[in-house]
Amino acid sequence: MNIIACYKVVPEEQDIVVLQDRSLSFARAEWKIGQYDLNAVEAGVRIAEDLGGRISALSVGAQPLENSKLKKGVLSRGPEELYLVVDSKLENADTHLTAQTLAAAIRKIGACDLILCGEGSGDLYAQQVGAQLGELLNLSCINGISKITLQDNTIIAERTLENEVEVLEIPLPAVISVTTDINLPRIPSMKNILAAGKKPVTQWDLSALELQQAENKTQVLSTLAPEQVERKQLILEGESEEVIQKLFENIRKELL
Amino acid sequence: MSQVKKVWVLAEKTDALAQLCAGGRQLGEEVAALVWGSREEAEKAAAYGADKVYWLGSPDQGRMLEDYTTTIGELLKKEIPDLLLVQPSRRGKHMAGRLAAGLGTSVIVDAAEITIVQGDIQIKHMVYGGAAFREERAFGPTTITTVGPGVFSVPAEERGSHGEIVEVEFREPAVSVKCLEKKSKAGAEVNLNAAKRVLGVGRGFAEQADLKMAEELAGLIGAEVGCSRPIAEGVNWMARERYIGVSGAMLKPEIYFAVGISGQVQHMVGANQAKTIIAINKDKAAPIFQQADYGIVGDLYKILPVLSSLIKANR
Repeated sequence: MNIIACYKVVPEEQDIVVLQDRSLSFARAEWKIGQYDLNAVEAGVRIAEDLGGRISALSVGAQPLENSKLKKGVLSRGPEELYLVVDSKLENADTHLTAQTLAAAIRKIGACDLILCGEGSGDLYAQQVGAQLGELLNLSCINGISKITLQDNTIIAERTLENEVEVLEIPLPAVISVTTDINLPRIPSMKNILAAGKKPVTQWDLSALELQQAENKTQVLSTLAPEQVERKQLILEGESEEVIQKLFENIRKELL
Repeated sequence: MSQVKKVWVLAEKTDALAQLCAGGRQLGEEVAALVWGSREEAEKAAAYGADKVYWLGSPDQGRMLEDYTTTIGELLKKEIPDLLLVQPSRRGKHMAGRLAAGLGTSVIVDAAEITIVQGDIQIKHMVYGGAAFREERAFGPTTITTVGPGVFSVPAEERGSHGEIVEVEFREPAVSVKCLEKKSKAGAEVNLNAAKRVLGVGRGFAEQADLKMAEELAGLIGAEVGCSRPIAEGVNWMARERYIGVSGAMLKPEIYFAVGISGQVQHMVGANQAKTIIAINKDKAAPIFQQADYGIVGDLYKILPVLSSLIKANR
């Protein structure tokens, strides 16, 4: 069983600064592995541990991907090797360009039975890449998977939708996006982190994948923080009955 | 407002279909709906205002709606609508992605606003956990977007006219996933998006049992109870359907009552459309107070019982 878990490196949202003109600054942002992708990596590692097989991690993006702490960060969670496609053209890649690059990288890696993605990226949360990747690779493909059981050459999976849970039979090879409730990602030990530094990393750029012509299929016109809604901001302090009574007077017209 | 020629809509549920048809009317000269189910369902869609209904028939047992992606994809390539509006459900987003990949384009998800500027479709949607709204447009003959709930409202009266129904022949996909069983989900019936009043609870509560205090207050003011993400996904005190924010519910209530919630942007994006925001939190510096109309800095364990008894006494 060959498994590939895909992940995205995203800016730490708490470091994003809204500037005076309502644009965003990422200048001080640390980069991290998207939190939803940790569930995909964990799901892959567990399958490989339980059934035997090989799990690799794969990410595509711009220079922040090369950060050695991030490389160790993903490898310390269990994958045996790492593939990266790093290219400045992949900065702000849209879902199409991301999926197209992942598809090309997976074809180059070779035989693969199962590809796992998180339910959405930690920054844009478009929840699109798994679906587009499956279609581009012509594989069976599904999202919202909250439980995986392997049976011979198929996967029996539970898919959580808004009002129901579907039990599915998914033939392999497949591309599956997993939800956050599928598992609790492990915290790597110091030993895992040290061992991660010795695992193989293969790095390509877009021309190595013959994708130098690939382009985003969307154009960003603007990205601006929303204008603040004017609020009354009648804030009281204290826990005495008097203060609570005053809060009640303030809100009674609204509440009753 | 200028319009494009053809807008298509794709929805699993009839209320979403009606909303998207109404949106399609605003944006396009001609609206076509992709509809599953009996012929009656197809006729209903025509009554929602679709000029044309592409009737896909009833799915056989075990067949997933996703299996229609091939059929719909071929139809898109042949008819080339300018815009495809899709319901933003998990299934809708999945199908949108596969259709877009088939057409060699991208998807813009959770549109909060769609405008047509000199024939260009411009779509505004939230990014970076609510820190910003991005305006974007897609290249390619067909723009595909999922539309956030409540972006379009259904007109009070149904259009009397009946559109044309076109039967579409099913095309077997090359690969497919089989549905073995469907189970209903416990506790999934809450619809926070539609609630007029919502009371949100956060990590200010020390124990799950303490949520009773909040539930009592919610009951007194007729509010649905929602929560911040860690309550649903960290400690699992509440069902996932109840959490508010980026990947959870997006509210538009008259009153949002935040109890023990600090008000990080990822949460507030789901609540800041409320007409009135009331906050209780013991941390004076909590960002929630910057965004509240009324608030009290203090211990919720002392404040909630007194507030509840005041409401009871004054009803």
